[in-house]
Amino acid sequence: MAERLGQIGKLLIGIWIAGIAIAMFLVIPQYEGLGNAGRIVIMHVPTAWVSVLAFAVSAVFSALYLWRGRPVYDHYALAAAESGFLFTALATVTGMIFSQVVWGIYWNWDPRQTSIFVLLLIYAALFALRSAIDQPARRRQLSAVYSLFAFVTVPFLIFVAPRIADSTLHPNCAFIQGSACDGVTLEVGKIGLLGDRKVQLLGLERQGDIITAAVKVSEPGLSSETILRPSYDLAAGDMVARPEFPGLRYQLGLEAVDLTANSALLNIEAPGTGLLENQRTLVTFLAAIIGFTALFVWLLTLRATLLDVQWALAQREGSRL
Amino acid sequence: MSVRSEQPVAGPAVPALRTILVAAWAVFVKDLRTELRTRYALNAMVLFAACTAVMVSIGTTFIGLRRSEEALLIQASLLWVALLFAAITGLSRGFVHEEETRTLAALRLAAPPAAVYLGKFLLNLALLAVLGLITSVLFIILVRVQVGSPLAFLLMIAAGSLCLAAATTILAAIIARASFKSALFAVLAFPLLVPPLIIAIQGTAVSLDNAGLDPVRGALQFLVAYSVATFVTSLMLFRFVWEA
Repeated sequence: MAERLGQIGKLLIGIWIAGIAIAMFLVIPQYEGLGNAGRIVIMHVPTAWVSVLAFAVSAVFSALYLWRGRPVYDHYALAAAESGFLFTALATVTGMIFSQVVWGIYWNWDPRQTSIFVLLLIYAALFALRSAIDQPARRRQLSAVYSLFAFVTVPFLIFVAPRIADSTLHPNCAFIQGSACDGVTLEVGKIGLLGDRKVQLLGLERQGDIITAAVKVSEPGLSSETILRPSYDLAAGDMVARPEFPGLRYQLGLEAVDLTANSALLNIEAPGTGLLENQRTLVTFLAAIIGFTALFVWLLTLRATLLDVQWALAQREGSRL
Repeated sequence: MSVRSEQPVAGPAVPALRTILVAAWAVFVKDLRTELRTRYALNAMVLFAACTAVMVSIGTTFIGLRRSEEALLIQASLLWVALLFAAITGLSRGFVHEEETRTLAALRLAAPPAAVYLGKFLLNLALLAVLGLITSVLFIILVRVQVGSPLAFLLMIAAGSLCLAAATTILAAIIARASFKSALFAVLAFPLLVPPLIIAIQGTAVSLDNAGLDPVRGALQFLVAYSVATFVTSLMLFRFVWEA
């Protein structure tokens, strides 16, 4: 009975994931400005979520192993780490592809890239440690200790994040309009950072109710500079012209103007509508998260069962010798 | 095959704190004495740091780094690169030496696990204190690092070293039981040290500017919190490493 249920579950996961893959291209509308590259988000975010989940699951089973000392817990911890590594690699690669297409750079050490890189390193270290110890009981015990120890240090990355957040390109700032990113308020002549671009407010010009700002935007490394002219309608209280950053699909918005202080609030904006405001996108997105989580659970049990069988076989061989 | 017996580990249930501290001090003094006799770890670490400082000096003094924000960050990064790699060459010595000379069993009989951990932790801390001092002086002389606020700089180096010792001592115990010891030590230690190193580098860069103690306060708090977390976790987990 349980076996039959497992079979059905396996089939369901397959169909579910296939459905998501189709929905990714057919159901979701194209994001204005992002083009087809935006669709990769449906894969990218769930894989990143699973890679963190797997790390936590691995740590939980490591703790159980240290507590109870039963090899089966270690098998689950290893299975979680192995499938987690797979998902982490997928999340990294999909993220890099998206980053290159949309931001024109594969890697720029923003907080999330740093943390996923650390996660990859920890997984790799865990596998290296396991392969360097021959005796099974000792291998299990020491890798469980390392896994737990690493789990304690990872949350500190959260505290590191704000310190390197100047260079973030990730959604909290640019994707979902009006969310966490506050932009920068600059007086005329002052310099600030938006994403990894340096911006300098050169001047504010008023024509009727329309204020136009001249903003000098410098590429990272100061390789090139351009002057963009976003504008703001005082009467309507809304942005008018939102020029694109050179080479990027992001726009520079003039969100507020203070004429008495001669200063302006500049912000980096995702083009078009907010990503998850669209109902179909949101549903597909949630379905993808559920699907990938189920896929992880299936991989986890499959691999753990396999390790159990291997261990049982090895023991039988051992007792025969 | 049951790996562990069901009965609790033999010996007095929980040794009093005082006994642990006395034993820890004994382990520390013993290790310090062996280290001072051979100076194996210290020599390796200091020579490594000196080589790095000389290399950096040869590379950078010709161009004469202008004192900008970037220059301070570069100097701080180089200083921590030297400290990190020198530390990694030496910090595993405490446990690896026990394993190589097959004295682990004797140590296991003589002292409770917590005391062994504490003793080795103190030894690593002492090694790092010497290393940090020498490396900083070498960088100040050879790389022309100008320390704007000496107290902040000193505290940053101390707090960073505390993190290194707290995070790597238990790893040294782990790798002592594995093969490819020294390479594995670096592999295991680096990912865990990324967060404190980022903070230490930025904090040290700030301390090179003469802005006093205030701007580095956050960094110091972070480093101390990280040290406390890893230290406490190590204390809790060390028993399992020691049993393995």
